[in-house]
Amino acid sequence: MIEGLFRNLRVLEFGGGAAGPLATRYFADHGATVVRVESRVRPDFIRLLRYTPGDPAGLDGSHMFAMVNVNKLGIALDMSHPRSREVALRLVDWCDVLAENFAPGTMSKWGLDYEALSKRKPGLIMVSTCLNGQTGPERQYPGFGGQGSALAGFNHLTGWPDREPLGPYGTITDSLSPRFVALLVASALIARNRSGKGQYIDLSQVEAGIVCLSENILTYTATGEVLERSGNRSRYAAPHGVFRCAPEGDDDDRWIAIVVHDDADWAKLRTLMGNPAWAREDKFSTTQGRLTHVEELEEKLEAWTRTQRAAELAERCVAVGLDAAVVWNFAELLEDPQLAFRGHFRAVHHPVIGNHLYEINAMRFSAAKETVSRPAPRLGEHTEYVCRELLGMQPQEYRDLLEAGVFR
Amino acid sequence: MLLLPRSGAFLYAAASPALACVNPLCVDNAVATPMEGNANLAGFRILDCTEESGYLAGKLLAELGAEVIKVEPPSGDPGRYRPPFIGANPNPELSVPWLALNTSKRSVTLDLASAADRELFLALVATADAVLETAGANATLGPLAHGIDEAMLRAANPNIAICRLSPFGLHGPYASRRGSDLTVLALGGNLYPTGNPDRAPVRCALPVSHFHGGLELAVATVFALWSRSVHGVAQTVDVSLQECLTIPNMTTPTQYPFTGFKGRRVGGGFRGAKAFFRELWPCKDGWISFALRGGPARNPGIQALVDYMRECGVADPALDRDWLQYNHNTVSQEEVDAIEAALGAFFRTKTMEELFRVACERNLLLAPALSAREIVRSRQLAAREFFVDLEDRGRGLILRYPAAFARTSLGPARVRAPAPRLGEHNQLILEPLRKGKLRGKAEEQA
Repeated sequence: MIEGLFRNLRVLEFGGGAAGPLATRYFADHGATVVRVESRVRPDFIRLLRYTPGDPAGLDGSHMFAMVNVNKLGIALDMSHPRSREVALRLVDWCDVLAENFAPGTMSKWGLDYEALSKRKPGLIMVSTCLNGQTGPERQYPGFGGQGSALAGFNHLTGWPDREPLGPYGTITDSLSPRFVALLVASALIARNRSGKGQYIDLSQVEAGIVCLSENILTYTATGEVLERSGNRSRYAAPHGVFRCAPEGDDDDRWIAIVVHDDADWAKLRTLMGNPAWAREDKFSTTQGRLTHVEELEEKLEAWTRTQRAAELAERCVAVGLDAAVVWNFAELLEDPQLAFRGHFRAVHHPVIGNHLYEINAMRFSAAKETVSRPAPRLGEHTEYVCRELLGMQPQEYRDLLEAGVFR
Repeated sequence: MLLLPRSGAFLYAAASPALACVNPLCVDNAVATPMEGNANLAGFRILDCTEESGYLAGKLLAELGAEVIKVEPPSGDPGRYRPPFIGANPNPELSVPWLALNTSKRSVTLDLASAADRELFLALVATADAVLETAGANATLGPLAHGIDEAMLRAANPNIAICRLSPFGLHGPYASRRGSDLTVLALGGNLYPTGNPDRAPVRCALPVSHFHGGLELAVATVFALWSRSVHGVAQTVDVSLQECLTIPNMTTPTQYPFTGFKGRRVGGGFRGAKAFFRELWPCKDGWISFALRGGPARNPGIQALVDYMRECGVADPALDRDWLQYNHNTVSQEEVDAIEAALGAFFRTKTMEELFRVACERNLLLAPALSAREIVRSRQLAAREFFVDLEDRGRGLILRYPAAFARTSLGPARVRAPAPRLGEHNQLILEPLRKGKLRGKAEEQA
């Protein structure tokens, strides 16, 4: 068993929010030392998400921050201080990978752009990820995930044809782009092991989203059709939807997702429903027929699912080999037996928040374990450790910088 | 591969559709020439036995320079039969979903149910660094679906990385369940909170779970290649689509023990501590995304929008406040309603493009919800040469694709070739193996 796939890797992280921190988590969870640079002068905005003035937890009470930054170290460094750059450069000398997700230009304002840093350190791998990328007329456009989802096309494609566009819940470009960054950085590390050369990576979160939605673009450019929102319907299968089930106690928001891929599936579902007369009608016997009469089909199916309890019905469907699932709410998700089996949610103790759960990524290796966790850093928690132990500063040097107000 | 300048027309009529082209001269122009762009993974050979949910993985690995070989049954990957098709008739060489996510790959056909082809497949495994497959109850294509298990793959190549994507993971209580985009979204928690409160939870028209899953499979594969080269350990990786879908919930589920919030559909909006904030707004010709929320980082953008509205002659008392001190956690629903009424009336008088231009000039956190039609017209994407017209000689077409998923100092990680035709590289890839096997047998007999 390998103790940490990336145990000798050193990652330096500037930036904040979710997209940047989730990317470096891939490496932190596999043994890399990840140092986050932060400052209370301009705190990471997710430290402020639920912050209200006077909150005794201060900047360390954000659940979201704690959950996306486990396994990392934190240094407080006020980048507006004239002496901060000397510390930042020593951190760059220390690291293998520098990840940042500020607006374009922020790193170069501090003299920390790749052009400057690669002269000092040719093996450096640096990745910048922002909404629109580092070049182009709209590079400075200051969007968050909500805007990324809109510009990449996810909103336009999510929801009902007669209603407003929606996003997949949770700002999707913020969860796609970390996976892209992990892919690019890991492949750059492999290339560096062979050539000794580092590289700079510019990932536009909007572009990455559009690449995932290549079918959206190609449908238009190759056929002229503009894809639209289509609820839960499919071009290939019917029924393909989410159907209301019986209320449970005071909870009337119970649903089942059912996908009938082919006529054999339809026969199974029909049997499960007790072969009602409507379901035996010829027009429903083929996929084409079901697609043609999909509205009536969905209405009749839902009239039946409304009489059933969601989780029980899903189990009955699964038992006969149908592709169906109860729609979990967040509370139920935490109890999901399969996620529990895979150890998806892990507990850690945070000194301010207490015990909390965090998630690990979706891959399990046969010969490597995710590393033992440490809670997300409180702001500046590891400043002295990083300076003294990782950068080898002498006590006097550290004290001077501290007194000068660099570590805020 | 010839890259043509962008022009007004997207699809060039095929001069002579040569779908059955078997001329070895027209095979594989792109990969045979030195590769332009980032080639972090050059030299790796990866066998791609994935179905739809895993397509993106092989595409991205190929676009980072790996040689990715799609192993298909003689009848073709089932995805080749997915509509829509280019042209009036269903044609497995012209399926848009298949063409979209299989760029830059090669294709060989092998019937894994036949003994001779299984032998050839294992000979191919012996030449490869990694094998990707979709597994689980749905799987029909990959080695596992044909009884070729880990032990057999390792016997053929002890150093192979085996990377598997399945709906729920290969072990555990759901291991034998079927799962598709909709049902995996349901069990990953991302479906319940997506949608309007008066309707069912709803998905994206394209399979978002496959994008997360394909990406995660790509990451897992590169991690496994790293493990091999740095630690000398060949790994088997088990990736679960369901598990991929929990991260996009952005920690809201794990906050449940603190908040008691089990999720809620709110339409195009955001439910804050005290109020509901609208996030998608109709404008003159479509929809825009704008939220009256966020911390100090977002406040200057709200201020800038209000300034712009005043310049346009909007004078609504609801807008008169110190926006830099605005805190969405403390504002009441009545206040929000009044502000939003003013904003909504204003947005309706402007087009998506007008509003976005102002957003770019003045740093407003406002963005249009773009369709494909508008995305291909983006000046930002044009400046970054994001779209490319790729000549697909085998099909007699020129196709406009999103080209590069990232730019790097070593060149873009970009589309290298159109999706392969069925068995396009049989000759190139399988013939040497066949000859090698014959030679091996001759030596045995000698």
